[in-house]
Amino acid sequence: MPKSAIILTLATVLAAIGMWLMLPRGTRRGRMLGGLLAAAALGLGLSQLPRLGSWSDEGLFLVLAAVAVASAAAAVTFRNPVYCAIWFGQSLLGVAGLMLTIGAQFLAVATVVVYAGAILVTFLFVLMLAQPEGRAAYDRVSFEGPLAAAVGMVIVGVLSVAIGGVLSQAGVAGQVAPPGQESVGSGVLAPQHVARLGEELFGRHLVAVEVAGTLLLAALVGAAVIVRVAGIRPSSSASATPGARTP
Amino acid sequence: MNPELALLNNYLIVGAMLFGIGVLGFLSRRNMIVMFLSVEIMLQGVSLSLVAWSRFHNDFGGQVLVLLIIAVAACEAAIALALVVALFHRRGNLDIVAWQALRESNLEAYHDRPLPAEPVIAGPLPHLPPAGTAPEIPREQTEHRSKL
Repeated sequence: MPKSAIILTLATVLAAIGMWLMLPRGTRRGRMLGGLLAAAALGLGLSQLPRLGSWSDEGLFLVLAAVAVASAAAAVTFRNPVYCAIWFGQSLLGVAGLMLTIGAQFLAVATVVVYAGAILVTFLFVLMLAQPEGRAAYDRVSFEGPLAAAVGMVIVGVLSVAIGGVLSQAGVAGQVAPPGQESVGSGVLAPQHVARLGEELFGRHLVAVEVAGTLLLAALVGAAVIVRVAGIRPSSSASATPGARTP
Repeated sequence: MNPELALLNNYLIVGAMLFGIGVLGFLSRRNMIVMFLSVEIMLQGVSLSLVAWSRFHNDFGGQVLVLLIIAVAACEAAIALALVVALFHRRGNLDIVAWQALRESNLEAYHDRPLPAEPVIAGPLPHLPPAGTAPEIPREQTEHRSKL
């Protein structure tokens, strides 16, 4: 068994235990330990990645990846859903930074604007509307904590091994000729990146863009209909307000 | 491993990490909004992988696909949050267990185990001294109710 496989297995086990300890279990005990274990697992996992070209690239990638993954873990494990939403926003910023560094400037900005600007704010609105006062009991326990943590982290471990194996084999066999370097002027890294993306979007993929626009319109109408038809009906426990619409 | 291949490898693995964390959250959390947040984290992982492939093949197809993912995620957020609000009006909380009557007929019901009480803040809480007198508001103004 090679050394890297042992380290990856160790990181997976550590991450599963750490995430289980961090998940809400009805008690606060062990959360800090879980965080430390998960952080150690993240460090082990990132240390096994192949080195990038330069030190600055490497450092930037490691910082952004750690921010994105650690914030995502916090978003999944915090007990207060408002904090979950805020951590999710920080994870989005990390992902946007990662996209920015590999030549997807427009997508990075679009992610921040659409996700952090619109979707996250909608989440917070719904939380303000629907969150009961105090900490709800269903936020303090989770389903099948150990099993869920094991499943999630084993998925990560298996995917990492598979990706590393396939890519290194392909690289050794010379099946992939990375086109990044020689055709910088015309592709993703071109100086006029956004103009080229727009050309591609409204040229080759025009029909897809139109369909996406129609889908957005249909979804908005559908959301309005759902809230009007299903939401206003008073529940048995809530007192019916005078003038409320009855079905 | 040459630098471009290493870049692809690293970004795919970060995408896989985000995906796995999203799976974990979706499987284990009980709050419907947090479950939905986990799905969004999974979408972020997939988007990151697509951007990495787009860089590797020097092709804009992956980035166009990510734009479409963002559009579909916005639709999904609108519909799902509308559904969550509707479900909240029916049951009065965001607990997914409140809807466990929809489970398969051969599954047992999920029962909550009793939780230890939350620690309460000890000691007297500060309060502000009253300042001024309460204003007099006419009765019809306090009972006014706009037509619903």
